[in-house]
Amino acid sequence: MTSPRATREELERRLATYVGAAAGPPEVGRDPVDGALVRQWCDALDDRNPAYLDEDAARASTHGGLVAPPAMLQAWVLPGISMSRAAADPENRQRELHALFDAQGYTGVVATNCEQAYDRYLRPGDRVTGHTVIESISGEKATGLGSGYFIDTRTTFRDQHGGQVGWMTFRVLKFKPAAPPAAARERAAPPKPRRLRPALGHDNAWWWDGLRCGELLIQRCKSCGQLRHPPRPMCGACQSTQWDTLASGGRGSVYSFVVMHHPQVPGYEYPLVVVLVDLDEGTRLISNLVGVAPGDVHIGMRVEARIEDVDPELALPLFRRETSAGG
Amino acid sequence: MTSDETRHDELPAVGTPPSPCFETLAVGDELPPLTKGPLERVQLVKYAGASGDFNPIHVDEPFAKSAGYPSVFAHGMLSMAFLGELLTSWVDPRQLRELGVRFVAITWPGDTVRARATVARKFEAEGERRVELAVWTENQDGKHTLDGTAVVGFP
Repeated sequence: MTSPRATREELERRLATYVGAAAGPPEVGRDPVDGALVRQWCDALDDRNPAYLDEDAARASTHGGLVAPPAMLQAWVLPGISMSRAAADPENRQRELHALFDAQGYTGVVATNCEQAYDRYLRPGDRVTGHTVIESISGEKATGLGSGYFIDTRTTFRDQHGGQVGWMTFRVLKFKPAAPPAAARERAAPPKPRRLRPALGHDNAWWWDGLRCGELLIQRCKSCGQLRHPPRPMCGACQSTQWDTLASGGRGSVYSFVVMHHPQVPGYEYPLVVVLVDLDEGTRLISNLVGVAPGDVHIGMRVEARIEDVDPELALPLFRRETSAGG
Repeated sequence: MTSDETRHDELPAVGTPPSPCFETLAVGDELPPLTKGPLERVQLVKYAGASGDFNPIHVDEPFAKSAGYPSVFAHGMLSMAFLGELLTSWVDPRQLRELGVRFVAITWPGDTVRARATVARKFEAEGERRVELAVWTENQDGKHTLDGTAVVGFP
């Protein structure tokens, strides 16, 4: 059996044969630089620079016509959909190199650096060809993702006259995955969905604030004494806008109820019992009934509210079966 | 001179943003940032088509999951392209000399990308005045996703 050390030496000896080699045949742009693909690019970015998009404006500008965004440099030579196919291209040494790493367990790949330089911007009609060389391969490095090798490639881009229009270096890390990517772990436990937030405003925020302070408040008209809920600025009986509150004992009886099975909104547990409760003080309140099987809920049932933090930002008066006589 | 002519003279040539002036730029100056997103998966598909970069990790959810990621994620080159847009909205596209980045964190669907740049250095090279900029993209939490350098030339 070969020791891991020998395996690494063997691997690194083979890696050395790739350094300086062309990554593959020249990458000849399938189409000349053209306005249609520039528009697709700008669409993807939501870039609205008229020098890229507006023929007339560009012609009237110092450019004398449309130009291509510099960052599109590589886009003119990438092969498109064939990149997603696994079929090995015998002439593609870069893929061969990646396959060699894969076979040694360095199956992970992540791009780490990219640098581009622009000798001139491109214009519609230019034909671009890229020549990519595998410039260097590092020794084995320990990284946050796992141990692996950095591969540097350099692509030189030339136009139809052979003139250099720019270059790009690209560095990828081929690594042995040590563990699921850190980001995957972070995302593995998505935050628990929360209940819908109430729409808060000047006229009702005080009621929700009361819950957060542990009080179930009822609005009371200062003029005629009528109680009302949900909160609103004017008394429906006497039209007074003067009001105060009293704290409810939270006890009452079920006036009506529904059991929600569908649709299921994230943040709630189903079946969800929604109750309309006649509070003993004399107003009605909609909330949820918990700790009671849906089949056991009945109209007239005595219930009591307990204010609970359903999440760190929301307290609700949840009703349960009344446990003792009210006082 | 008619008033129409006057107005034309005052307008910058279309496609040539009112160019910043080399003399008045100071180290530390920040460019007007560019905010993109929240990125949608459809946008990644669109970018794949426009750039020709069809690495399935960016568009094929089952493939991305089988590779150990929770979902597809944005091309690093898309964020780099946003930096390109930031710079060529600031100066004429032909003034951009170099743009180089490190891909430091992943951009996920739903993330916002904010492309930013500050003036790091003013110098002369190859017979022209140049400005080196520290460039980066950050997400909605302010976490850097790309870090890099750009060089812009001034006539």
